[in-house]
Amino acid sequence: MTRYILRRLLLMVPVAFLVTIGVFVLVRLSPGDPVLVFAGEERDPAVLAAMRQELGLDQPMPAQYVAWVTRLAQGDLGRSFQTRQRVLEAITERLPATLELGLAALLISVTLALAVGILSAIKRNSVVDLLSTSVTLAGVSFPSFFLGIVLILLFAYVIPGRIFPPGGYVPFTQDAGDNLRRLVLPALTLATASLAINLRQVRSSLLDVFGQDYMRTARAKGLREGTVIVRHALKNALIPVVTLIGIQIGAIIEGAFITETIFFWPGIGRLAVTAIPSGDYPVVQGVVLVSALSFMLTTLLVDLLYAWLDPRISYEKVGA
Amino acid sequence: MSGATLPVALHLRQADRATAIRYFARRNPRMLIGGAMVLTWLLLALLAPFIAPYDPIKVNVSGALQPPSGIHFLGTDDLGRDVFSRVLWGSRVSLSVGVISVSIGFLVGVTLGLAAGYLGGTFDLLVMRAIDALLAFPALVLAIAITAALGPQIQNAMIAIGIVAVPAYARLTRGQVLSVRAREFIVAARTIGCSPLRIVLRHIFPNVTNALIVQATLSTAFAILAEAALSFLGLGPQPPDPSWGQDVNYSQRYLPNLKWWMSVGPGVAIFTAVFAFNFLGDALRDALDPRLRRSA
Repeated sequence: MTRYILRRLLLMVPVAFLVTIGVFVLVRLSPGDPVLVFAGEERDPAVLAAMRQELGLDQPMPAQYVAWVTRLAQGDLGRSFQTRQRVLEAITERLPATLELGLAALLISVTLALAVGILSAIKRNSVVDLLSTSVTLAGVSFPSFFLGIVLILLFAYVIPGRIFPPGGYVPFTQDAGDNLRRLVLPALTLATASLAINLRQVRSSLLDVFGQDYMRTARAKGLREGTVIVRHALKNALIPVVTLIGIQIGAIIEGAFITETIFFWPGIGRLAVTAIPSGDYPVVQGVVLVSALSFMLTTLLVDLLYAWLDPRISYEKVGA
Repeated sequence: MSGATLPVALHLRQADRATAIRYFARRNPRMLIGGAMVLTWLLLALLAPFIAPYDPIKVNVSGALQPPSGIHFLGTDDLGRDVFSRVLWGSRVSLSVGVISVSIGFLVGVTLGLAAGYLGGTFDLLVMRAIDALLAFPALVLAIAITAALGPQIQNAMIAIGIVAVPAYARLTRGQVLSVRAREFIVAARTIGCSPLRIVLRHIFPNVTNALIVQATLSTAFAILAEAALSFLGLGPQPPDPSWGQDVNYSQRYLPNLKWWMSVGPGVAIFTAVFAFNFLGDALRDALDPRLRRSA
């Protein structure tokens, strides 16, 4: 296992290197002169030249990249052009809100997917199954921002009593009840797209397991149907779901960009979206980089968990 | 000399082909339904200039915020523009972004996948690491980052969504090439002296098309959704041009006044168009994937 972990970590190095190059090139492609954005009203050529030198923008591209990666390795993502705040600080300030939303969405998505997916697989071709497969397809096709708007319209304006507020955020430590009330709509919105995919995966992996010989053997031994499903089917069918949860982390990160914008949720997605129109590239660059690296790390963790859960996976062969 | 041993090319008659198509369609009714839904949207987009009852960008303040009626099927927005006409014209943006970005992803991804799978070695290693780097980004985050870097324009949204689609095609094609490469007919083609380009294009590519057709249909659904998301964030076509995502975003400010029709028109349009391509993609996968066909 240690060798497998080391190998996976080593494989991540060139990919992470390419990711940093990608983010660096993207920012350098951006229209406009970053010095002009950073300088604000200042237009004196001498001051601008000094600023360019200070930011290292008078250096050749490879030198700029090396300097940027070196600062990055020290945890320095630069400063926001707009607020002059350190980007890493801006991200860490908003990370708890994004994590809270993401975890709530993941919890809703996985719980519902397991409950409905299991029922749908056991009662294959029944009304429940038909309904759940239709909902799956509809859920994948439903744009999250439109779902968010429908939910706001229904729960904040149409249904009397304003059950859930249309947006905004109150820290959990300040008012737990209000925090949870404000969390419901964005979490549901974010959960829907991944719920559809999770549900499909739970159903199909259970159906796969139902066709295996050991299931027939379990039934032939005279075990009760409940025992066969819980002890033999579920245990095996849920392993691929672990991988899926890892993949959903990506969906949740990207979904946060949209959901946080609709619900005025002060997370890192909204931070990036508000930074784009003002040309605050260090912030966009920082959020994109943090998203990519955390996506890579969670994928790695899930792969390791998967290898640990499923003894059939040979550590020696993976990645060879 | 007798000609008895010469191979004879048997051409399928037109009638037989029609029968085969009818048989295939009867066995796969979901494909027909999905195809009909996709075709409907394509026709609506093509015919939008002829069937849209009003100019989608013409402002008519006196007729602002009217609810759906016989005159304005989906009502009007705060500038008095007909929502139905904007939805029809918006379909041209969404579907063209879908088709063009998928074409970019297809061309680049399939070319890289074919070359990497066939050539192997260092080229394969380099291409696959670059693909892994692209996959390290959540897809929509990458599309947002690319469009933000290139500037908020429809062409840049197409390029961004196309780049995001490349890894799926490259990996799929490479995998298929690896499974076909060692087959007898490829060895035979190589033995009779076919050039690598001919082997790849004439012998390998036709064997991977089924999986690619399914992928192209499903990724068109993703592209429409991604374009709508980019437009929603202000990174797609700019006002006053009609665009589904941008119109949903714009309508958000009128939710407290319960002017729901401004969001519902473009929102339902996005949903039905994406659903149509997803439905067709699923049906095609069931029909073209031999493993699923056997288990059905």
